[in-house]
Amino acid sequence: MKYLLTTLISLYIGLVQASVITDKEAPNFALMDSFGKTVSLSDFSGKNVVLEWTNHDCPFVAKHYKTGNMQSTQTYAQENDAIWLTIISSAPGTQGYVLSAKANELTASRNALPRHVLFDPEGNVGLTYGAKTTPHMYIIDAKGTLRYQGAIDDAGGRGFNLKNLLEADNYVKNALKEIQNNENITTKVSKPYGCSVKYKS
Amino acid sequence: MVSNSITAESFFNASESNLSLITESDLISSDETILVGLKFKLNPGWHTYWENPGDAGAGASVVWELPPNFTATEILWPGPKKIPVEPLMTYGYEDEALLLTKITSPKVLSYPVNIRAKVSWFTCKDICLPQEGEVSIKLYQGSKSENKSTLTLREMEKTVPTDLSSPYRVNLIDNKIFLQFERENAQKITSAYFFPAEYGFISYVANQKLEKNDRSFSLELLPAEVQVKTMNLKGVLKLNLDGATEYYNLDLPLHDKADTSPPSLNLITALFFAFIGGLILNAMPCVFPILSIKILGFIEQSQGSREKIMQHGLVFSAGVLTTFLVVAGVLLFLRSTGDSIGWGYQLQSPLIISLLIYLFVAVGIVFMGNLVLGGQLAKYGVLAQSQRDLAGSFLTGVLAVVVASPCTAPFMGPALGIAFLQPGLGSLFIFLALGIGFSLPYMTLSIFPQLLSKLPKPGEWMETLKQIMAFPMWGSALWLTWVLSSQVELQSVFAVLIGALLVSVCLWLLEKTQNSQGLSRNLALFISVFLLAFSLWLIPTSYKEGPEEIERNGYEFSSERLENLRLNQQAIFLNFTADWCITCKVNEAVALNRESVKKILADKNIVYLKADWTRKDPEIASMLASYGRTGVPLYILFPSQGKPIILPELLTEDLLVGFIKKIN
Repeated sequence: MKYLLTTLISLYIGLVQASVITDKEAPNFALMDSFGKTVSLSDFSGKNVVLEWTNHDCPFVAKHYKTGNMQSTQTYAQENDAIWLTIISSAPGTQGYVLSAKANELTASRNALPRHVLFDPEGNVGLTYGAKTTPHMYIIDAKGTLRYQGAIDDAGGRGFNLKNLLEADNYVKNALKEIQNNENITTKVSKPYGCSVKYKS
Repeated sequence: MVSNSITAESFFNASESNLSLITESDLISSDETILVGLKFKLNPGWHTYWENPGDAGAGASVVWELPPNFTATEILWPGPKKIPVEPLMTYGYEDEALLLTKITSPKVLSYPVNIRAKVSWFTCKDICLPQEGEVSIKLYQGSKSENKSTLTLREMEKTVPTDLSSPYRVNLIDNKIFLQFERENAQKITSAYFFPAEYGFISYVANQKLEKNDRSFSLELLPAEVQVKTMNLKGVLKLNLDGATEYYNLDLPLHDKADTSPPSLNLITALFFAFIGGLILNAMPCVFPILSIKILGFIEQSQGSREKIMQHGLVFSAGVLTTFLVVAGVLLFLRSTGDSIGWGYQLQSPLIISLLIYLFVAVGIVFMGNLVLGGQLAKYGVLAQSQRDLAGSFLTGVLAVVVASPCTAPFMGPALGIAFLQPGLGSLFIFLALGIGFSLPYMTLSIFPQLLSKLPKPGEWMETLKQIMAFPMWGSALWLTWVLSSQVELQSVFAVLIGALLVSVCLWLLEKTQNSQGLSRNLALFISVFLLAFSLWLIPTSYKEGPEEIERNGYEFSSERLENLRLNQQAIFLNFTADWCITCKVNEAVALNRESVKKILADKNIVYLKADWTRKDPEIASMLASYGRTGVPLYILFPSQGKPIILPELLTEDLLVGFIKKIN
């Protein structure tokens, strides 16, 4: 009876979780980084991973870097031993598409702290993850489960006079902290805001 | 760029676009409201966004600088258009956008009135340019009078969505969202689109399918790829017809799906309802046959020790609870695989029904004769006597639940409905509460066996009673045969009857040889196994072809028919039933099929719709689900206007006539 009960319960809970995308296993991928090395998500199993979709010419992205908000989030991730992967899904000929040299130059000039900058010119990884905007953020935990997806913070909304970004509620920092403390994530999904990802058409 | 008092228009030039502020009048008096517009002129191919930009981008924001005590409304957004950016979807305005605001002057004011707007917006093509600019205008003293912008502004005001006055609703079926609208001449609609106002419920990029007929239309939407908990379905409906375009605001609470909200119980109330429902289930017609077995058992045991009686009662209850949990587990599993099922689903399977027929025939024969089942086992000492009896009690508990399944008792319907909506453990607890309620009378008798002292002492009469009890068993078998006949071909029903005959032969052989040893016994066992296997092979597993004939004095249910009747403001009595549902059949006999009920339905011109759930039917299952139910019976009375009334699960003639009299 007890055995039956636990079997039924675990069966049922398992099924419920399967329908919630955010708590599902994050799909693996392999992309070329800005040093010509192939990097897979699975290389970092056992660590928390942050994915950042970017396009350096998008005004929203530019603002997050100019104010230091993105770098501050990257620093926070680094301090908490999380891996930061910056992904560019802009297709050749579209805004934000860069070659390795330019990508590395951007990292240096902006004092950015990604572990790797990855190129996704075909857009396959972006479409698999459903990345809509730049920036669009994802957090995957040490077990490979997707734990957060959405905006970097709550500064989205109408117009471009974005709130003071450094004072905004930073969903990525919050989620990283909650994962670190083994707590439930308060905001698991939020509406991403920014420019559209410039996919190959 | 600087405003000119005569033209009443100021410009701000930005790349690929310019912005100006226009007003309905150059003059304003005190306590007056005028229409003001922010006019965005965009270069060809460029666009700016709606309030909800869709997958990316952002709508404009405005900060007004007004003289003291002036007020401005929020932006009145004109109806947007779709601007696809493959593979994404955005919503906005191309070439030109005019965002309206109403500004009201106070009682006391000084002139000239200086109105200034700080605007932040995006001008986009494949890339986006953030823009920020200020525009202003001066208004002078005088009563409102037309200027060159008046017409433009008033025309644009007509494209601001208004609230939809005709009825509409949202239905969630099979992971799709259906928006359903009533409208005269809906055939004239050439295209329709719903612009969601919020992220995370409706997919922006998916196609929306329009279905229309004379008096209604519906849009089929897909859920967003990423779901965020939403309380309301909000957005703007755009309709194109005969060259005209109409925009309507929609705002529907999502937890009130159809017109009626399914009874919303919290978990505690649902547990309580389940408990009471389980208790009442004992008095439902389908449980009677099994009750007789149990009562006999109690009488037999009443001579035994108090401890033994208690043991039996508890084991019986354990059987009941285990079966409820297994049923719950199977239901939840099937539901997760997308099967449309509900309480009583077991009896939608000809296989289960046929097995139950064999079982009831067999139990009847055992009651009538002298066969001692399980005696063989005891002889080999595999199970001690008391343990064997305990196993019997457990199995009786299992059987009690299996035969109880075609019945829904009062209180049970809403509780089961909640059980199916509960995530995680909640639903299992509800089924447990149901089981506890169901087994409570037996547990009580076990714990207080002095209650049994009222029952007569065992004796010869018990043998007689046991024989009499065979008849309700065979009665149940007959009823199941009738249920089976509506699911499978006549030949298959006949095959099952042959199977039942073979089962009887088996039992006779076993009884005849139960005291003999050697060859004759072994031969009897061999033949029995063979006959039993053959009778199992005879069981049909597939439904018969073709639809059943329609009720004489009513119509068969379909959601389309219901929808049409509702749109025609026709009063309807909707009966969800199934042949295997005894509560349904009893209600039909004592209330629905009575002359007085038929007469009042005819007199009041109420259409009778019958939804027969004898076989699996996803449409009926989803309709039941929209009323928070998972089983039959369910009776709904739709007045020609207003909210439907859900009637009790147990009907009487007077009750039903009373309800019907009250409407309209």
